[in-house]
Amino acid sequence: MDMLLSNPTFVLIQVLNSISLGMNLFIIAAGLSLIFGVLRVINFAHGAFYMFGAYIMFTVAQEAELGFVTGVVAAAAGLAAIAVVVERGLFRWLYDKEHLMQLLLTFAIVLLMGDLAKIIWGTDQLSVSYPDALRGATDLGVTFYPTYRLMLAVIGPLIFLGLWLLIERTRWGRLTRAATQDMEMLSALGINVPMIYIVIFVIGSALAGVGGALAAPINSPTPGMDATIIVECFVIVIIGGLGSLWGSFVGALIYGFVFNFGSVIVPNWQDVFAFLLLMAVLLVRPWGLYGKPEREGH
Amino acid sequence: MTPTMRITAAAAALFAGGIGAAQAEIKIGVLYPTSGTGAVYGVPAMQGHDMAVDEVNAAGGVNGEMLVTFARDTKLKPAAAAAAAKELITKDNVDVLVGGLSSAVGLAISEVARQEGVVYIATIPKTIQMTTTKLHKHVFRTSSHTDFEGDAMAQIVAQLGKTKLCDIQLDYAYGHDLAAGIEKGLKRHAPDVEKVIDLRSKLGATDYNAQITQILGTGCDVVTSGLWGSHFVNFAQQAQPFGLFDQVVYISGGEIASHEIAGRMGKDYPDNVWSNTYELWYDHTVPAHEKFQADLAARAGTKETAMWPVLAYIGVKFIAAAAEKAGSTDADQLAAALEGMSIDTPVGPRTIDPETHQADTGQFWGPMVRKEGVDYRVMDPVTYIPAKID
Repeated sequence: MDMLLSNPTFVLIQVLNSISLGMNLFIIAAGLSLIFGVLRVINFAHGAFYMFGAYIMFTVAQEAELGFVTGVVAAAAGLAAIAVVVERGLFRWLYDKEHLMQLLLTFAIVLLMGDLAKIIWGTDQLSVSYPDALRGATDLGVTFYPTYRLMLAVIGPLIFLGLWLLIERTRWGRLTRAATQDMEMLSALGINVPMIYIVIFVIGSALAGVGGALAAPINSPTPGMDATIIVECFVIVIIGGLGSLWGSFVGALIYGFVFNFGSVIVPNWQDVFAFLLLMAVLLVRPWGLYGKPEREGH
Repeated sequence: MTPTMRITAAAAALFAGGIGAAQAEIKIGVLYPTSGTGAVYGVPAMQGHDMAVDEVNAAGGVNGEMLVTFARDTKLKPAAAAAAAKELITKDNVDVLVGGLSSAVGLAISEVARQEGVVYIATIPKTIQMTTTKLHKHVFRTSSHTDFEGDAMAQIVAQLGKTKLCDIQLDYAYGHDLAAGIEKGLKRHAPDVEKVIDLRSKLGATDYNAQITQILGTGCDVVTSGLWGSHFVNFAQQAQPFGLFDQVVYISGGEIASHEIAGRMGKDYPDNVWSNTYELWYDHTVPAHEKFQADLAARAGTKETAMWPVLAYIGVKFIAAAAEKAGSTDADQLAAALEGMSIDTPVGPRTIDPETHQADTGQFWGPMVRKEGVDYRVMDPVTYIPAKID
């Protein structure tokens, strides 16, 4: 606590800690939010997708030694493939069913993938090395900071920009936004709505995979890692507004700052502040900072 | 063997022996987590348990009676463990309970043992409460505890001549008890050491940047910790680029010197780490260890073996010795036999204190160093710090 007041470099480091944590979480939360925004499905299995991303990274980069970038690409591709199977095989039958059914289905996928991960990768705590280029620390003039964390702090905004351009600036993005408004009208106009659904689900799931792959060197792949991340993601998207890209981005940053500074100011209560904030948002603005209130009869 | 196979084997033995053979066996109820997150420890522990049972039976059993195992999965949950322990006693009529992993699970099994009047030997749980405030006449512990562990850590702090100490622990029973054990040890061995900061992380935490940077900010020259398993892996991976391990000596409980961790982390295992383990597959300080490790390696199918089997193995050996001495499986007689009992184990002799029911289980401690020709860290030198506090 006194270090915050007396040492500006320490404050800077905490700011960087907050941003890098937030940006890693943003990549994952954005996928969850994107899928909900279009498909209106709250995918509990998103955490399991993240876990698979981390494990795929382990297999590709650590065991097969095919390199870090290959690991990220493999995680994205692997989760994209899983997403196609899950969407075509399961989700599409439930779009017109009530939310509870969808929730239960995604929960079943969580259990299934958890056991599958144990069968494939065992139960050890695995470890993934940093890529050589990002090992160590970078000199920022006033202090050194881990290069890998800086990379996370840069990649997050790049992914944000990419998603924003895709959704706001392309014809395909306009169709996607239209699909969230009136799917039947879009169908009537001859647009292939199921195709939009698959692509969105694939992109969202691949983001979970990329997030897991990028987290692997700082977050050892281990059974149960899916449960932790899904809670963090929910906090973020509820604060930011479920379905909103800006909401995920700002929500993730808020979470990063609250978690880090909370840990420094009241070390024994590091989680409390994020959840207090969550409660405040739910009471005052239940649709989140950037969300829109649900319309009746939607 | 799966539980069903074990029971089938037991049933077959019964039929072969005809009526009356039912008496000629000692039923052991064993409780480890063999599914879920805890399986990483529970599955190897079961290997050690089965190996000890097979050894005893191959040598003719105990007073002519065979050991028979009834295994249940605790799922690392106190409630599930308590239910399983009850079932073992009431349904399977076991004579004795053994096992337990995690302090909370151990205390839950111990409570059932107290209510049902059955002997329970805790082989892994470390909370000091089990043999102090929650002690009863039927509970015994063959693992170490947090006061021994904390005392050993304080001895190392003193030996290395460190002066400014930061402590980081997990925010639950084990972490709190270990922090208290270290405090007590520091008063005895290194009273001049300045404790600069106490940091707590929740069980299962994945991000340690705030704690790491706080430690760096304090200028500590030694960090004491009980972050175990994946907690340590994450902490170490995140702390390395900050250069934490160049600034401090990191003295850790939680058995992160065991080969399960060192082998998995390989070249990513940090410098300047001192830690503990109950057993090291490559250390044959105790001559009997060589055969133990070879047998275990054959059973596990790997040259390098895990640390957990020896703990479960020792639990079974105590049961066999106590049943032999008591000449009975009556709980009170078993308990009386266990009080003050000594046996030889692959990691040295063990004696159970008749008052506290705690075995004098010390641990191997040492720095984790690089070694020519292997890509993982090894403990060198290996020092056995005995379980005594004075």
